[in-house]
Amino acid sequence: MATKIKKIRRNVTLTLWEQSYVPEILRGMYITLEHFFINLWGLILEFAWSGREDRKIATVYYPEESVTPPPAYRGRPVLVLGADGNEKCVACGLCEAACPPQCISIIGAERANGERYPLRYTLDGTRCIFCGRCEEACPKEAIVMSDDWRNLCEYDRSKMIYEKADLLVPEEKLAGRLAFIRDKAFGKDRY
Amino acid sequence: MTLALVETAAKIAFVFGLNIGVFAPLLGWVERKQSAVMQDRIGADRADVFGFTIIGLFHTMSDTIKLIFKEDFIPRGADRIMHTAAPALALIPALVAFTVIPFGGHYTLWGHNVNLVVADLDVGALFVFAISSLAAYGVVLAGWSSNNNWSFLGGLRAAAQMFSYEVAMGLTIIGLVMFYQSLSLVTIVEKQNEFWHWGIIWHWPAFILYFTCAIAENKRIPFDVPEAESELVAGYFTEYSGMKFIMFWMAEFVEVVTISALCVVLFFGGHHLPFVTDAELISGLGGALYPNFANLAAMGIGILTFIVKVIILIFIQMTIRWTLPRFRYDQVMALGWKLVLPASLIWIFIVGVGILSGIMPRP
Repeated sequence: MATKIKKIRRNVTLTLWEQSYVPEILRGMYITLEHFFINLWGLILEFAWSGREDRKIATVYYPEESVTPPPAYRGRPVLVLGADGNEKCVACGLCEAACPPQCISIIGAERANGERYPLRYTLDGTRCIFCGRCEEACPKEAIVMSDDWRNLCEYDRSKMIYEKADLLVPEEKLAGRLAFIRDKAFGKDRY
Repeated sequence: MTLALVETAAKIAFVFGLNIGVFAPLLGWVERKQSAVMQDRIGADRADVFGFTIIGLFHTMSDTIKLIFKEDFIPRGADRIMHTAAPALALIPALVAFTVIPFGGHYTLWGHNVNLVVADLDVGALFVFAISSLAAYGVVLAGWSSNNNWSFLGGLRAAAQMFSYEVAMGLTIIGLVMFYQSLSLVTIVEKQNEFWHWGIIWHWPAFILYFTCAIAENKRIPFDVPEAESELVAGYFTEYSGMKFIMFWMAEFVEVVTISALCVVLFFGGHHLPFVTDAELISGLGGALYPNFANLAAMGIGILTFIVKVIILIFIQMTIRWTLPRFRYDQVMALGWKLVLPASLIWIFIVGVGILSGIMPRP
């Protein structure tokens, strides 16, 4: 396909018709009026007919409703709680090493059957930069970035230091993100 | 005598109610909502009474209540008398200009002749321009008396701009005055009885020029250099708060209505429906059988037509206001003196030639 070359006039003196501003004003008004009537029709449809579907305006009434971010969204990092009721973390310390702001600190321990588990897993929410390196470093899919973007703020910084109990989230709630990181690591379009 | 007094009082009440009671508060809402919908937003709709928001209309009320209870602040070093008088000087001319604008025609109700204009002046068009140029005093005094550099600069800019466009605005309607052979707005409206005699048919260049000048005169975007937020904070009303602040806004909105009303009267046939003359309307409503009822109905239709036309022109003004960016100050002056003024003079010449050669048949 031949490339289209659009000629652009630069630093030229305007013609008298252009100097009157009339054509450009009408063009601008056409654009805004088009938006106005399309949006107005969408609002009427929303009110009278089909709800939010046909509306072009993307506004979300935040405190009453909120958006669910896509799986690629990096929210609050959480620990995955397996189906057997134990955390998947084996306290290997890779996330601790990978964390750029060093917000993770782990104290490991061993169960009676020889499995390792984190006795304490502390994630400092005041330091976390939501980069997702911990998730990339983890060999057991034990720490993932959730889609939780609320509840990240506190009036007291001491409340932002999350212990293991604060971080554990059941596996099924994180299915979307887990599928996403598997696809990212092993899928066709991995990078 | 008493009847005439009652009639005049009713007309004044109608004009006042329409401007201060309906249009001024409603335009605040329109400006918010229309700009929002144009820019793919929802707009303010959170103020509610018992859970009802009626698409954000309560915001106007809550804003008014808030501004009434705000502290009325006069800065140190300000001229107290002028600082207090300036908002009134800005608002009153905008309201007074509406007195000579006919919002209906002549009707005979129970033997009494009703002319729907507060003051039927022979020089109505001149009166409008004379009064609206008085609004410059309010703005300039507000800028000067605030003892603030931003206000002062805004006031200076407003003075220069309003003076420049005053000249051009007066000249733009000379062509119309030549065409209709009258300065009385009532007569001009009467002569637009037929659709092909509406001003816009022959005088659309004058309409564009007049509309430009009127928006510049009202200091709204794209000509809002006197109150340019990014340069002068709020220009001449930087130091105003509370009700004085809202008076400047009301003056602006009332002027929007006045400009639209004047455009309707001069170019869009006033209260006339297109293709239907007043006599046809009254006889069509059964003027022979029930003359009083027919006249009353025709009066209602006339006022409604006038208001609808005004609303359409207000909508166009709001669209312009939310579409265009602000001119640079020297561009505003260059447009006024170098383009609009010569263009309006040339248009007067064209109209003169057209009338004398018989191309433009006068009604």
